[in-house]
Amino acid sequence: MEFEEYVSARGQELVRLGFTVSGDYQRAEDLAQTALMQAFRSWRKVRKADDPHHYVRRILVNEYLSMTRRRSFTEAPTAEIDPQSTVPDPATGIVDSDDLWHALQELSARERVVLVLRYYQDLDDRTIAELLGIKPSSVRSTASRGLATLRQTRQSNRVDERLS
Amino acid sequence: MSNPDLEDDLRGTLDRAAASVPQATGLSDRATTGVQQARRRTWMVSGVAAAAVAAVAIAGFALTGGNTPEQPPVAAPGMPQSSNPTTAAVQPLSAKTIAGTWRATQITGTKSLKSARPDDPILVFKADGTWSGSDGCNPLQGTFTIGQRGEFAAKSGPQHMIGCENVPHTGVLQSAKRIEVTADTLTFAAADGHELARYARAR
Repeated sequence: MEFEEYVSARGQELVRLGFTVSGDYQRAEDLAQTALMQAFRSWRKVRKADDPHHYVRRILVNEYLSMTRRRSFTEAPTAEIDPQSTVPDPATGIVDSDDLWHALQELSARERVVLVLRYYQDLDDRTIAELLGIKPSSVRSTASRGLATLRQTRQSNRVDERLS
Repeated sequence: MSNPDLEDDLRGTLDRAAASVPQATGLSDRATTGVQQARRRTWMVSGVAAAAVAAVAIAGFALTGGNTPEQPPVAAPGMPQSSNPTTAAVQPLSAKTIAGTWRATQITGTKSLKSARPDDPILVFKADGTWSGSDGCNPLQGTFTIGQRGEFAAKSGPQHMIGCENVPHTGVLQSAKRIEVTADTLTFAAADGHELARYARAR
């Protein structure tokens, strides 16, 4: 597969992954571009991998985690989900979902990445561990911590709603 | 709420968030152009390094190698004799220096700066450290700081992201770590010194 073919097939998926982990459109494009630039530099090696997309995805999430560790990194205000371009689904409780989206932004970068890889990319814990260079047990504990925080945030939001 | 419910909701939320991402264009071009520019930069840096080594070697030879009588510096033909960067007056930069309205003339990775857009894609800096403007479709705003020697940092406020050929002002401002200002040109550079974008003062 040529680089251009890969980008045309999977480039947008990378931007989406960048957005789900960072919550910021501009940063999502930057992350996708950085991952693609690094992949392009060693494309001969990448294309020989069993799954080139897995390789590029690994670059993207690790670049995001490195970015959040830099001293100059400051969390930018999160973008709102544009309701005009979301997939219309009348059965879905959009308010609940938005709450969850906002609660996600309160998690640590690693917790968010683990949850995104698990629930958006549908990767198993072993693959996530390999991708992030950590142990599967760390993935499980990070995910568990993230879910607990989300549940707690949601519950306290509902109590606030009832009281107001 | 049980974990399966929360997990299902989380899947739905993430799917909807991902679906809201506008179609990115030119990813392939930007990635390959970025690498090619980086390679050119590396070559240029190597060239500069080689020149620096040569200059040091020549200076070393002049100091240690010989009994060459001390000569006053002689300017090359056509070169101004008074050009001495160490004594040139440097104007400290501040928010006031760039206050005004600017238009992008060149942004790395963006080709269509002159396309027609619903709004005028300008960038306005104010002396109070705030910036505003439009990417052509969405209003933008935020704050910025400038160090006396051109150190730059900006934050952007919340913004909508209606898709069009958005001029990526926010990306430029968030990535920029240094600025240079000449009479009517404002140049943003990344932390590694490479140029991100060039703006011209709007008349």
